[in-house]
Amino acid sequence: MIIDRPDSHFIFVFHPLVMIGRKYTLYEGKELTNGEILQYWGKWIVLGDKTWLDELAKKLDPYVEDEIIPCIKYDRKPPENLGLKEAVMMVYCDKRKGDEIWEILHQHGVNIKAWVSERETMEMWLPGGPLLEQWITSMNLSEEEARINREDAKARLGYIFEHPDEIFLPWEQ
Amino acid sequence: MRDVSITILVPNSLKDLLRGNNQATCAGKTIKECISDLDSKFPGFSNNILNEKGEVNKSFMIFLDGQNILALNALDTSVKDGDEVSIIPFAAGG
Repeated sequence: MIIDRPDSHFIFVFHPLVMIGRKYTLYEGKELTNGEILQYWGKWIVLGDKTWLDELAKKLDPYVEDEIIPCIKYDRKPPENLGLKEAVMMVYCDKRKGDEIWEILHQHGVNIKAWVSERETMEMWLPGGPLLEQWITSMNLSEEEARINREDAKARLGYIFEHPDEIFLPWEQ
Repeated sequence: MRDVSITILVPNSLKDLLRGNNQATCAGKTIKECISDLDSKFPGFSNNILNEKGEVNKSFMIFLDGQNILALNALDTSVKDGDEVSIIPFAAGG
């Protein structure tokens, strides 16, 4: 199911049951813990223009509906504040299913093979991390706003690192 | 003996690295050697991809068969005939 809300930067592809509360961070039907997210979760990165990504999302939607691909999100427009000139699609999965999902992407025209773990992503968005600091700079935040955003990132992401046995709770983006 | 051939792939936003091409081939036993070989074909490639210390420029992520080379042996990661190396902008990995 493609969720395209014009007020959101991202367009999502979720299984319909996710919209009524079921988690997408599953592996073989079991909810992943924070520790498992850090160990196994990640995404295949796909870059392109929005028109092509829209078409790709439609082709991949059946795999999400069939619960082969857990979820997908992609930019409505290139995040130029992060220095990007193309939109980015992230095809999320547990890396234990990574090869299977890569083959699907490759069959549908994705040639650049780039896997980024969720652990690595979270580290980039912690205080001092390159992406959080670049985002803060690009948004021209005041010192106070920057401090609040850093504390929020530390609280949200730090919790995941510090509580590995708890079930992972995704948050709205 | 057949020459070793490694394929380098970049997205459209990085085609300037390969003079307008999305892919190129190169030879080498390591990522570092491949970059050097690509520099001979696309002058300036090495200066773009590497920083002044000879490390991967923080503006890019480099992957061998989908894996970030920093999780392998960085620029000393071995490559073999038929391997595919992908380069993306760093921020795309977030």
